[in-house]
Amino acid sequence: MLDYAEPVTRLIDEFKRLPGIGHKSAQRLAFHILKTPQEETNRLVDAIREVKEKIVFCSVCNNLTDTDPCRYCASPSRDRSIICVVEEPYNLVAIEKTREYHGLYHVLHGALSPIRGIGPEELQIKNLIERLRPDESGEGEVREMILATNPNTEGEATANYLARLIKPLGVRVTRIAMGLPVGGDLEYADEVTMHKALTNRHDI
Amino acid sequence: MHLRTIEAVNFRNLAGSVEFSPGLNVIYGANAQGKSGWLEAVYLLATTKSFRTSHPREAIRHGEKEAILRGSVARGSLVKEIQLLIAETTKQTFLNAKREPMIRYLGNLDAIAFTAEDMQVVRGAPDARRKFLDRAIFGIQPSFLGTLSEYNRALKQKNALLREASETDDPLRFLDLIAPWNDQLITLGAEIHSTRTGYVDKLRERLSPGLFQHETIEIRYKSSLDGKGDLSDYAGLLRERMGLRLKNEIAIGYSLVGPHRDDLEILFDGYEIARFGSSGQQRSALLILDLAQLSVYHDVFEEHPIFLIDDLDAELDRTRIEILLNYLDGRAQTIVSTSKRSIADRYRDRAATFQVQSGQFLSANQRTNM
Ligand SMILES: [Zn+2]
Repeated sequence: MLDYAEPVTRLIDEFKRLPGIGHKSAQRLAFHILKTPQEETNRLVDAIREVKEKIVFCSVCNNLTDTDPCRYCASPSRDRSIICVVEEPYNLVAIEKTREYHGLYHVLHGALSPIRGIGPEELQIKNLIERLRPDESGEGEVREMILATNPNTEGEATANYLARLIKPLGVRVTRIAMGLPVGGDLEYADEVTMHKALTNRHDI
Repeated sequence: MHLRTIEAVNFRNLAGSVEFSPGLNVIYGANAQGKSGWLEAVYLLATTKSFRTSHPREAIRHGEKEAILRGSVARGSLVKEIQLLIAETTKQTFLNAKREPMIRYLGNLDAIAFTAEDMQVVRGAPDARRKFLDRAIFGIQPSFLGTLSEYNRALKQKNALLREASETDDPLRFLDLIAPWNDQLITLGAEIHSTRTGYVDKLRERLSPGLFQHETIEIRYKSSLDGKGDLSDYAGLLRERMGLRLKNEIAIGYSLVGPHRDDLEILFDGYEIARFGSSGQQRSALLILDLAQLSVYHDVFEEHPIFLIDDLDAELDRTRIEILLNYLDGRAQTIVSTSKRSIADRYRDRAATFQVQSGQFLSANQRTNM
């Protein structure tokens, strides 16, 4: 097979590193870029650069944010006695869309999966435990933690692991109700489903 | 239900389409001409699984990207078009030319197959018998597919931890990590146990002993926890056994307890069929099990799935063939393949017969009085 000019090959290779992009899609994207006017590709390049420069992880909840702490953690109107734990930042967006939840969040950035080498150390669990620690008065601010990990094998195991870890600290631990199909991903839950899952949450 | 027509595109060496009779259909042709391929196509269209390969993509014709199977299924006067598209990494299901989720597609056409590979059920190791049970259950309860795949996924995750734990100097730190997976294995395992035992009870009621000879046949779901405690509280017992065996599991590096180690006990005239049965008895036993599965299906849906027999005369003698076909006559649409023209000739007066050459149907001799 003949190779393309080196810059083209390099672009294809970079695209191939992206999740869900195989060789053919990478090739198609590269040729699309080649045909696109300069100013349009500049906008794309700027958007990528800006997101890398300006977006950081919130030092409290690990959400993606352009201010630290993020707007949820910094907001005086959010209920600080309740934390909703999700796997990924886009799960947080799905819950926020219900407009019914006014507590705080914690993003784990994944779920336990031994076959992929993901254990508790690979997830943002340590700083979750820190958030639950009582202050000098001996009174903890957080009263309830909602586990909103995905309703699949890995999400369940993660919720189960966290519940065992957190319940001894005296915090109420609840799990969102699964009106969702087995093996589901919260990413595909609509607002109504998500709202129901939250209101019907149960203690574990 | 019956399959009226099937068409194959880029599927193995098959080409064209065929119209089946609602009764008995005999497909004959020399070896490697595609007769088994057509049977496989029917089974795949019905169940989305192949009885020849665990990777249906292997059936895509060389050099092509996807294979398509299309069929029309009749229930009384209602006719539905179903279609299965097999690509390298996906399978897509369609009903009346529209995408249909797999879980709703299944059940539009159902099939039970008697093949040489299935002889493992009465000859081979426990996993072949578990597969037989699970496949039969999917037919009447598609959601069981989800339960089983979640269980297998959790088991894989637990085994990854056990393997890692077996290789470290500090296996104790793995206990907290294993516990969440055990919890899921217990919930899902209890569901699998009760579903399988429930199905075996139904199957037992529908066994027709003495169908082929003067044999007796008994079946029992043999849990790996038999004799270890109170099986009526399966979840509790499984939890207890997992606790007791955890050290051994860590030492050996994989899971030792759960329904993935269960078996279906099949006794023929009081003896375990796989170890003591003659090959004739094994064939009879498998047929009796298949026909019981057909009856259980009928109990649930008040209709029969279609019955497929691959390479009829290779596995069955003339007497068994006669008894079997008489049993199926008037019950289920039956499609059989054979390499012998003489067999097709023998049934020409009561069956639609088809000759296959190079993957295509050459001639159809259909009886009209069916
Ligand atoms: Zn934050």
